[in-house]
Amino acid sequence: MWAVFKKELKTYFLSPIGYIGVGIFMIMYSIFFYLTTIAYGSLFMGEIYYATARYGLLIMIPLLTMRLFSEERKTGTEQLLLTSPRSVTSIVLGKFFAALAVILITLVLSIIFPIIISFFGKINIPTLIVTMLGFILVAMAAISIGMLASSITENQIIAAIITIVVLVAPWFLVDISTIFSSIDLMDKFMKFPSGLISVSDTICLISITIMCILITIVLMKRKKAVK
Amino acid sequence: MIEVKNVTKKYGSTIAVDNISFDVKDGEVVGFLGPNGAGKSTTMNMITGFIEPTQGQIIVNGNDISKKPRKAKKDIGYMPENVPLYYELTPKEFVTYMAELKLVKKAERKEEVQKVINEMGLAEVQNKLIRNLSRGFKQRVSMAGALVGNPDVIILDEPTVGLDPKQITEIRNLIKELGKKHTVILSTHILSEASQICEKVVIINKGKIIAVDTPENLEKATKEKNSISLIVEDPKCNMEKLKEKITQIDSVDFVRDCEDGTKQYIVTTSADIDLRKKLFEILPKEEIVIFELKKTENTLEDAFIKLIDANKQEIEEPKDKTNKIEQGNEEKGTNPNNGEGSTNNEKENLVNATKENSSLKDETEEESKENNNESENIEDEIKENDNGKESIEDEAKKNDNKKPDAKEEKK
Repeated sequence: MWAVFKKELKTYFLSPIGYIGVGIFMIMYSIFFYLTTIAYGSLFMGEIYYATARYGLLIMIPLLTMRLFSEERKTGTEQLLLTSPRSVTSIVLGKFFAALAVILITLVLSIIFPIIISFFGKINIPTLIVTMLGFILVAMAAISIGMLASSITENQIIAAIITIVVLVAPWFLVDISTIFSSIDLMDKFMKFPSGLISVSDTICLISITIMCILITIVLMKRKKAVK
Repeated sequence: MIEVKNVTKKYGSTIAVDNISFDVKDGEVVGFLGPNGAGKSTTMNMITGFIEPTQGQIIVNGNDISKKPRKAKKDIGYMPENVPLYYELTPKEFVTYMAELKLVKKAERKEEVQKVINEMGLAEVQNKLIRNLSRGFKQRVSMAGALVGNPDVIILDEPTVGLDPKQITEIRNLIKELGKKHTVILSTHILSEASQICEKVVIINKGKIIAVDTPENLEKATKEKNSISLIVEDPKCNMEKLKEKITQIDSVDFVRDCEDGTKQYIVTTSADIDLRKKLFEILPKEEIVIFELKKTENTLEDAFIKLIDANKQEIEEPKDKTNKIEQGNEEKGTNPNNGEGSTNNEKENLVNATKENSSLKDETEEESKENNNESENIEDEIKENDNGKESIEDEAKKNDNKKPDAKEEKK
C-alpha cells in the first residue's frame, strides 16, 4: 500500500492536477472566507467549511479521483500493477489514501484563515476541530465514490461526470422525495460545523466510504475474471 | 518452471484460448508464435495473473497463480505489449517503483535499481522524464521494470516491435543473455527472431496449440523439398538439359537474368537428397560455370505458414476428420521425424491448402514484412552469418578464382 500511496501522491504534484486542485480549493475557501466571515464580521468558521465542502469538493474530488484507475487502464500500466505481487486491496487503498492526503494538505493550508481570525477575536477551537473532522469524513466518502467511478471506465471525463452527478443529484432529488436526503453527503455534514458530532452521520459517511472501497476492490478482482 | 494445464479462456461465447497445455522448464527460452488474435497475449496475461483463466491451472515455480498469487507473481517479471509506462516519472523513479511493487527489500532496493539501470544502458537517461525518451529507451525502461528484483521467469510480449535494426539486435542479444540465468517466454510474430533466440517455440492459432518443438525440428518436419539456388554462366543453355543428366532432379526453374550475364536457377529435389556435390562435379563438364551455389533453407516462416494453413483447413473439415488430423499433428509436434512419414498425404493437402488459402498467408506475410521492413538489412546480415545456412560461398569463391583459367582453356 505504501509504495502505491507514495507514487500516487508524487504523481499528483508532478502533474498540474495536484496544484490546480489545491489552488481551486484555496480560491473557493478565500471567497467564502470573505463572503461569510469578513462581510458579516462573523467569527463563526463553520459556514466557510460547509460552503467549501459543498462547492469546493464538487470540483476537487472528480479532479483528484478521475485519473486513479481510468488512466492506468487507458495507458495499460494497470497491467504492471495487477501483475505485481501486491494485492488488489493494497493498490486500491494506496490510491484512496493518496487522494485523501491531497485533501488533508489543503485542510492544513486552510488553517491560515482561523489564524487570521484569531487576531481579531476568540475562535472556538473544539468546534473548528469537529468541523474539520466532518470535512475529512465527507471528503473520504466523496473520494471513495470518485474512485469507484474511475474503476468502472477507462475514460477520465466519464469518471468525473459520474462523480459529479452522484454528488449533485441528491440536491435536486430531495425535492422529489426526502428519501434522497439520506444519500446527500452534504446533509450528513450539516451538523458538524455547529460542533456536533452526530453518531448516525459519522457512521453513515464511514459506511459509504467502506462500501465504495469494497465495491472497487471487488470490481477490480472481477475484471480479472471477465477480461 | 511453468506448467500450463488445460487452460481455457472464454469471452462470453468466443473462445480466445482453447484447452491449451504446455510447460516451460527452468532456463528455457520459449517463443510464442501465432498470427494476430491467435491468443498469444491472452495466454501471457493469464500466466502473469493479469487475467484469470475460465478453466484450467497455471503453476509458476510450484505456486498456483490464482491461489497463491503473491508467491507466484514474485517470480515473474512481465513486460506487456505496447510498453505501458508512467510518463510523468523518470526511468529511475519508475524502476524504483517497480522494485517496491515487487517487494524488493528496502536495504537492497537502491543497489538493485542501479544495477538494472546500468544493465539496460539507461544510466545516461535515468533522470530524464520517460515522456521525452525515444521509443527504444522506453522499451528498455519497460524491460528494466520487468527485470528488477531478479525474477526467475521473464515474460516479454513482443519485445522488439517498433525498434530500429540496431536496437533489435541489442534487445535480442540481451534476451539471449537473460536466457542463461532466467526462464524467458517471449511472443513475437517475427519468425527469424524466434528461430534465432528461442530454444523452443509454441505455435498457437485460433486459441489452440498446433505445435511445440525446437525451431530446427519444425523446419525439418515441414520440409518437403530440397532446393538449391544456382547462379551460373551458361552460354550453351545446357541448364535446360540438366534434368536428363541427373535423374534425381524434380525440376529446374529459371529465376532471373543477372546484370553480369549470369542466370539464376532453382533446382529442386526431394527432401532426402542433397545434390550439391553432384552439381559441382557435373556442371563444369556441361560447360556451365558456377558463380554461386547455395542450399536454400526451409525457414521457420515456411513451417509456420504451413502449420497455420493446415490448422485452418482442419477447422473447415468435418469433425471426425479433424480429430484424426489433430492426433497426427500432436505426433508431429512431439516427434516430428516419426510424424513425417505418416502424414505425407496430409502434407499434399497442405500444399494445396497453401495455394488455395493464400489469403491468410498473404496477411501473415504482409505483417511480417511490415515488421521486418526496419530490420531487414540486419536480418540479411545475420542470415549470411548464420551457420545453419551452410552456404558454400567459400567453394563458390574458389570457383571464381578458377573462372579465368576456364576462360583461358576455352580460348
